[in-house]
Amino acid sequence: MRKKIGSALVVGAGISGIRSALDLAELGYQVKLIDRAPNLGGTLTQLDYQFPSDHCGMCKMLPLVERDSSSQYCLRKGLFHQNIEIMLNTELVEMEGEPGKFEVTLRQRPAVVDPELCIGCGECSRVCPVEVADEFNAGLAKRKAVYLPVPHNIPNNYVVDLDSCTMCGECEKICPTGAIDFRWEARSQFKILVVDDELIVRDSLKDWLIEEGFDVDTAESGPAALEKIAKQPYHLMLLDIKMPEMDGVEVLQRAKDMRPELPVVMMTAYATVETAVEAMKIGALDYLMKPFDPDTLVPLVVKLYENLERAGELKMEVGAVILAAGFGSFDPAGNGLNTYGYGEIPNVVTSIEFERIVSASGPSQGKLVRPSDGKEIRKIAWLQCVGSRDMHADADYCSSICCMFSVKEALLAKERSNGQVEAAIFYMDMRTFGKDFQRYRDEAEKTYGVRFQRSRVHSVEQKELGGDPRIVYTDITGTGREEIFDLVVLAAGQRPPAGSDVLAETTGVELNQWGFCQLKPFSLSLTSQDGVYVAGSFSGLRDISESVIQASSASLRASGLIHSKGGGLAEASESKVAFRDVSREPPQVMVALCTCGDTFTQAVQIKEVESFVSNLDSVSHVHRFGSICTQEGWNQLEQAMEASGANRLLIGSCMPYLYTRKLRDLGANIGLNPALMEVVDIRSSVFPGNNSSQEQASREIRLALSMGVGKLKGMDPSVSTGTPIAQKGLVVGGGIAGMTSALGIAEHGFEVFLVEKTEELGGNLRHLYRTLEGNSPQELLEQTISKVQRHPNIHLHMNSRVLHSHGRVGRFITTIEKEDGSGETLEHGVTILATGGKEATTESYGYGQSDIIVTQHQLEEQLHSGQIDPAELGVVAMIQCVDSREEPRNYCSRICCSSALKNALYLKEQNPEIDIYILYRDIMAYGFLETYYTQARQAGVIFIQYDVDDKPKVNIENGRVSAAVTDPILGREVVVETDLLVLSTGIAPEGQGKLAEIFGVETNQDGFFQEAEYKWRPVDFLREGVFTCGMSHSPRNITESIAMAEATAQRALRILASERLTAGSTVAEVRYSLCSLCEKCIEACPYGARWRDEDEEKIMVDELSCQGCGSCAAVCPNSASVLRGYRDQQIFSVIDAALEEIF
Amino acid sequence: MATTVKIPIKDQNLVSSLQDFFKAMLRDGGINGLMVAQHLPTKNSVMPTLVTDPDKLDTADPLAPVFPINAAKVVSKLTRKPLGGKVAVVLRPCEIRAFIELVKLKQGRVDDVVLIGMDCLGAYSNVQYPDFAGDNGMEATLRFYRNIQEGKGTACDGFDVSPACKACEHPIPENADVLIGLVGVDLKDHLLAKANTPRGEELLENLGLSSTSEPEKRGKEIEKLVTERLSYRDQMFVETSEATADVGKLVSYLGNCVNCYNCRVACPVCYCKECVFLTDVFDHEPSQYLRWAKRKGILKMPTDTVFFHLTRIAHMSTACIGCGQCSNACPNNIPVMELFRTMAHYTQTAFDYVAGRSLEDDPPLSVFREDEFQEVVAKSH
Repeated sequence: MRKKIGSALVVGAGISGIRSALDLAELGYQVKLIDRAPNLGGTLTQLDYQFPSDHCGMCKMLPLVERDSSSQYCLRKGLFHQNIEIMLNTELVEMEGEPGKFEVTLRQRPAVVDPELCIGCGECSRVCPVEVADEFNAGLAKRKAVYLPVPHNIPNNYVVDLDSCTMCGECEKICPTGAIDFRWEARSQFKILVVDDELIVRDSLKDWLIEEGFDVDTAESGPAALEKIAKQPYHLMLLDIKMPEMDGVEVLQRAKDMRPELPVVMMTAYATVETAVEAMKIGALDYLMKPFDPDTLVPLVVKLYENLERAGELKMEVGAVILAAGFGSFDPAGNGLNTYGYGEIPNVVTSIEFERIVSASGPSQGKLVRPSDGKEIRKIAWLQCVGSRDMHADADYCSSICCMFSVKEALLAKERSNGQVEAAIFYMDMRTFGKDFQRYRDEAEKTYGVRFQRSRVHSVEQKELGGDPRIVYTDITGTGREEIFDLVVLAAGQRPPAGSDVLAETTGVELNQWGFCQLKPFSLSLTSQDGVYVAGSFSGLRDISESVIQASSASLRASGLIHSKGGGLAEASESKVAFRDVSREPPQVMVALCTCGDTFTQAVQIKEVESFVSNLDSVSHVHRFGSICTQEGWNQLEQAMEASGANRLLIGSCMPYLYTRKLRDLGANIGLNPALMEVVDIRSSVFPGNNSSQEQASREIRLALSMGVGKLKGMDPSVSTGTPIAQKGLVVGGGIAGMTSALGIAEHGFEVFLVEKTEELGGNLRHLYRTLEGNSPQELLEQTISKVQRHPNIHLHMNSRVLHSHGRVGRFITTIEKEDGSGETLEHGVTILATGGKEATTESYGYGQSDIIVTQHQLEEQLHSGQIDPAELGVVAMIQCVDSREEPRNYCSRICCSSALKNALYLKEQNPEIDIYILYRDIMAYGFLETYYTQARQAGVIFIQYDVDDKPKVNIENGRVSAAVTDPILGREVVVETDLLVLSTGIAPEGQGKLAEIFGVETNQDGFFQEAEYKWRPVDFLREGVFTCGMSHSPRNITESIAMAEATAQRALRILASERLTAGSTVAEVRYSLCSLCEKCIEACPYGARWRDEDEEKIMVDELSCQGCGSCAAVCPNSASVLRGYRDQQIFSVIDAALEEIF
Repeated sequence: MATTVKIPIKDQNLVSSLQDFFKAMLRDGGINGLMVAQHLPTKNSVMPTLVTDPDKLDTADPLAPVFPINAAKVVSKLTRKPLGGKVAVVLRPCEIRAFIELVKLKQGRVDDVVLIGMDCLGAYSNVQYPDFAGDNGMEATLRFYRNIQEGKGTACDGFDVSPACKACEHPIPENADVLIGLVGVDLKDHLLAKANTPRGEELLENLGLSSTSEPEKRGKEIEKLVTERLSYRDQMFVETSEATADVGKLVSYLGNCVNCYNCRVACPVCYCKECVFLTDVFDHEPSQYLRWAKRKGILKMPTDTVFFHLTRIAHMSTACIGCGQCSNACPNNIPVMELFRTMAHYTQTAFDYVAGRSLEDDPPLSVFREDEFQEVVAKSH
């Protein structure tokens, strides 16, 4: 893979951070991916199932081409990519420089457990005497102070939580590999100066700290302390505030003058806490509260010591920074009133806690029982908008995802209980604004019987101690009701992530009024700081799909910046390695056994294992190494391998997944294809606590090695040369999405054909004059068109349509036809379909029968042209969801509610006297749009909710139009005589079907383009090399279309950036001499990577599209279709080896 | 309403009357060729022949109670690519059904052929037929049908049709373009020819045959015949299941197998250009044999026998149409047809599939239905 010069920092390794990091890594940039947490994955690690599939699917984010550059297994378990360096427990503490050349300082919290040495055996955790609440299970279970942050990670290293660790040292003693090191001896080098006027304090502190191994000195007054500081440096000063001669604050000031780097911790009694806080402002690190007791003080000092001495700091240069800091959760108990009794009434839990309850890795292994008393859960209530859409909680915004989250949880509960659970969702508006959300919700209600209760929940009560929680609520008619449940789940809204204010200050990005990252107009990734981009929920809660889109938008922007700066931040570039051709050599396997110090040799009869292995077919060398995991051990292995001349390498050690990167480097060094190297786990068989006999353990190890040899000896040694790429893009559709995609590609130096069927660029944007936020679409349009027209890399084809296309990723041949009938053939490596959508037409509500019945779009046009004068209007009524959110167009068009709010607010602004009635089903004011909903209500717009089964009725009589609707609160029909009736007809697809046919992609049942996977591959088609964005994919607003367009450009660039691309070492092949051309494999291939070449009479495989799943090999009866790396003979060998000692 | 015409029987000779019919068809049916089984001059054997000259039909005898090969395979060879003409092919129901499976597997095309199917009363094995037929094949055919008409069934002169035919519940070629009916028809007077498709209509329309309708008793006689066969078949399933109920029994059931792979060669739906068992996949390392032997101290040679049959079952059991050519080809009289048909019955029932019924039915393994086999594919928690 070609390595670009340049690097980026991604802060936050949740979904968005991983997506951004992978994007940039796939373009060849070096990426540093950091996270404060000890694990990857962010919030997603705690969530096992995502709607709408109720599965995971995270692995679909992994690279689809050049697959060998990355790990190719469950992304929840871990991630390796050759261009990504992951640093956990790490924060960004300083950023200097300018866009394109930032100097960042990263601080990594100390790791007591060396991840290189930890083999994950768990002995440390077993002996640890501390038990604290387990964050992974949202506090519903306990963990030790030395623990696994995520139970299923690979590699799974234990970590020490210094906040709860008592430093008893038991884990250090028992660790079989010496991975745990509290570094007691280093403490004697750590000089602490204790300054206090009271002898008893000085002496007791000195005694305690000396016992912990520190070097302690004391001073009885400020001047005495200063004298000592002047003579020699200390590593830490513990300084009393209240001293007679000179008070602590003064001492601090003077000490800092002398030795600015000296960390000082103030010691204070309760009375002087405020002084201590002041002291921190002038440089004190922290303060400790008197009176002290050794059990609390000592760990605090030790933690300070660990942070000061052992936290690693790393300075590096990066071209761009992406903030993917995620989100925090609203604490329902932290809100003063806590009317829902969270934390007080048992069986009131948050959504995340519920997620853990249903998780197989949760506290009840997925059984639906209450954590408080183990009672089987049979009736659950979900309360929506807890800490969202709530002015009292300072949250005049919608958290966007909770509605679908709760529907999903309700369905999970139904599924877990075989439909036995009664599930009720108490909500205000069910915000199903995403693609396919409405059908998911309807299915939950109609097929699975989830109850949707439109209501306001006043409080949750518990009648008697130990009783079930009871919900007190008001239903849509205004009637007060009560109901008892087994469990109440609070859909707790989002807050900015912890530490976001510090992060904002460090990076210079502005936050909005609620503390989320402020975005620039018409962008989902640009912050107020050039060179710093935002991805994911840090700028407002998003679901996975939108986070992924936004993350790719951010990476495109970051890459664009680095590219425009000429990429001055050089990392050594890697030239293409030429591997030794071993295809004509018989297989010769060198087996390297790691003895893990001595522990392994004690546990098994290593000689016997060795002699067994050396007798296996094709094994030419067997070597023992003390510890392959150390650099020294690895060097020895490399030398031995080089000296052996073997052409296959089998390593027997612990944690095979760790070796991906090492094997690639080894391959480069010795010129052997890493596909010919394999690592098998021989270590976990002899983990302490396994209780297997020496004989059993030896047998398991023999089998593992023998299977490894079996797989290696049949491995095809030939190397793929890759597929040449036509480094040009085709974008179909010249609206804002298409133009943005084209620019994204062009600005990276690649040519783009932009095909537009009309004579003008701009699409729907040409008819939009205002946004809800008050930005100007026309200005955006003008700027974008000008950039497109001026860009030398963009070739415009106006008045043109696509006639025909063939070929595949890397090389498509597409014929376009101009209006005059002339044709042109274009060769391109990728295709982006951005043909947009259109406002739907309607025959409902008297549309077409009166001039004063218009659509939202027409209203905006006519307001702009002056055809409608707000001053002349007395009453305006709007009807939402016209023909939408019911079959056959059972989807939310997402933009109509905000259009209605926009137009209503504008009318009110122009003429506050207008009475405006908005008849709606659910107001889809997701995210920060909620605040405009609030504004509209404050401006006096009347919102009347109607039911889909009782729609408004429009009456046209003598040119007068009236709308009748049942008001749920009044319980009777209300008739609105209106001067203008505005219909929100939503968005309909436009011509996607034809293009889908031409490019061999799919459309969904509503006629929009069907993406590969809604959540994880939102802009890809299943067919590699073809992408979609904007309204041709699904209804969305301008900014969202732009973000999606940027994401498609990003996805396209990962292909265009290389002259040749290879797939991965595991790809399908056809053995033509055996093939009967039955085409079963073509039907079986889920990626459309196979086709029959009629001229050659052969089945062809598109290597780049093939993902190595092996379906083709499975359906082929005579192994004419085979998968490299999984040939029949290999698998037979492995099976034979596995069964060797069993049968 | 399908066109139904009479093929007149002259001189009470079924065979020569049919030959006249075929001659007329080749002359006036708008076809470029006819494929039909004929007695070969050299020896008394019956093989499919591709005929373009009407005068070369003098020994045509598709009614001869024998079919040494399942002719679906040769039709597949004729139709793999455009043929450059239209050919009518005269086949048994099991041959038509095998051909339909091959078309689904892209091993043939229906575009250039008109399928002519004959009601099938069964066939003798390849080994028995020469003894039954003696020197005069066509005369033997007449003898066979006389025997049936006299109510003596298919057993004649101490010979009888093969178990596959006795167990065949598809004696009527319902899916042929033109069906030639014998069951329930007055064979002294005429045969029935019925066009089931436009293609069939086209073939019959210029032959100047008088139209008729199916005799009433035909339906009943077919039902009786099928009932008999189903009862034979089901008994066979029970016995075979019992005989192969576990691995040990299966091993002994196939004990005489010499890995000749004749069953696979004879099988019309085994379509691989080269069987995987003949490829390098099973080129075991010589040292492997010794290791296998060491496990239990003894290794039955040749190896891969049961593996071969199980693999074949896995590959063909959804497409097996029960023609019995496998048993016909087996040199050691292993009842392979019984085993394969029994397995095929279960797999096809599981997928609600009838092999060879219609081109409209997608092969089970090419279709994924999310709701089927919930016990296998359901989300596991």
